[in-house]
Amino acid sequence: MEPERKRHRTRRRLRRSDPGQKTDFKLVLELNAMHPFTNLTHLKRVRACRSKDSPHALEILICLVKDATSPLNNDFSNAALGEPFVVKIPSRPPLTRPQFELASKHWPTSFHEDKLVSTALRGELFNAKQKAKMQEYMMLAVDAAKEGKKLGLKAIGAVIVDPNSDKIIAKSHDCSQNHPLQHAVMVCIDLVAQSQGGGCYSYEKYTSCQFNFVDLNNGASQPYICTGYDLYVTKEPCVLCAMALVHSRIGRVFYGTDSEDGAMGTKFKIHAQKDLNHRFEVFKGVLVGLCKELDKEERDGVDTKDSAICVL
Amino acid sequence: MGTEGVCGEMFYPNHEEIQKWMDKAFEMAKDALENGEVPVGCLLVYNNEVIGKGRNEVNETKNATRHAEMVALDELRDWCELKGLEVKTVCEKTVLYVTVEPCIMCAAALRLFNLPVVVYGCRNDRFGGCGSVLDISSANLPQTGTKFKCVAGHRAEEAVEMLKTFYKQENPNAPNPKTRKQ
Repeated sequence: MEPERKRHRTRRRLRRSDPGQKTDFKLVLELNAMHPFTNLTHLKRVRACRSKDSPHALEILICLVKDATSPLNNDFSNAALGEPFVVKIPSRPPLTRPQFELASKHWPTSFHEDKLVSTALRGELFNAKQKAKMQEYMMLAVDAAKEGKKLGLKAIGAVIVDPNSDKIIAKSHDCSQNHPLQHAVMVCIDLVAQSQGGGCYSYEKYTSCQFNFVDLNNGASQPYICTGYDLYVTKEPCVLCAMALVHSRIGRVFYGTDSEDGAMGTKFKIHAQKDLNHRFEVFKGVLVGLCKELDKEERDGVDTKDSAICVL
Repeated sequence: MGTEGVCGEMFYPNHEEIQKWMDKAFEMAKDALENGEVPVGCLLVYNNEVIGKGRNEVNETKNATRHAEMVALDELRDWCELKGLEVKTVCEKTVLYVTVEPCIMCAAALRLFNLPVVVYGCRNDRFGGCGSVLDISSANLPQTGTKFKCVAGHRAEEAVEMLKTFYKQENPNAPNPKTRKQ
């Protein structure tokens, strides 16, 4: 899961008022017309005055400091208002409860809890059995990466499984020395195509790149590209692979460690990109220790022994 | 502008070349439409010669990555092998002419092949990787090949019309098609 944890605050001007409810309502309406909060709908416009010795009952957000006219909002005047001042506000809606609590200390903020994100952050999204399965599949990807490395290729491995039948559909490693686009994920996608009677490349010389034909005798429905399948890959997919997975309608993606140009969290979040016609969940950190080690060896060109398995 | 004595930044097709090769790409797209295929025409031109062309092969390969550009890049590789030329050297002076903006995946592929210039017709609001959805062509991605320049808008309306005509027909291989929110 890749929730946004960063919190930026923007300063904004504020005026105090004490004009009674009807006037407050009018003020807020006027304000909304003059300074609409189009991207800041998570903020309440008005709060009760915190200081007890203030002559005003309420405080109202007027506009962002950067949008304020000089010297002091002379486009907005009302006799009932006190002197404007600057207050810090959360610039984006909170995604987690701790973010919400922190945000609310600065200004009243609304919060729509995403149960999935909260469960994931508590570490309760997957049970022990599911985690063991994930590690088992990632281990296959790590092994495939090592096989590729033995052939002098980049140590990146991928596995595509059908989570409903627990069947491994395809297993691959990076072959980009052979073809600049044959990244581990791209090879894996083509091997899935081969499992369905399609595909377009031969991987004869790479014996670790394999697929299993889909068995349709057990009442299984005809598979359609990668629909419903899970991908396990040792390294975060690049733009090419991430978009290939969108086109292939992958179910979920699990990766080990970040990539410098990664497109599922590092540089882009293509799996959650607005406007695209398919979105999916991405989880990072499965066997992160082993995956990082593969990556480090890759960069340093050093071969080290297996390290302990880290838990998701 | 011209293709003579070119290297790196200087490499750019001239107006006549764009006209000529885009006409050819549109002929291909029309041909595809008449045969019930995705109406995208796509050519790779090196030294005034077509060294790769492609059409969408997703359905027959059951591989959703087989877009016209990906097929054309494979042809380019085969051509280089046949001629005994290095792919990288050839790509540095090759232009892609395509009737529709390449998708995000194809834009990344073009970077990985180090193509310097892409000439395209209409925008691709669904998947476009040269600015419509994301701008992969000019993004800072040091591990993903090289940036490329785009020349956009040649016969754009015509390209859109062909796509509209095509998408009115249904794709029999896609399960439960979802209509896009307007």
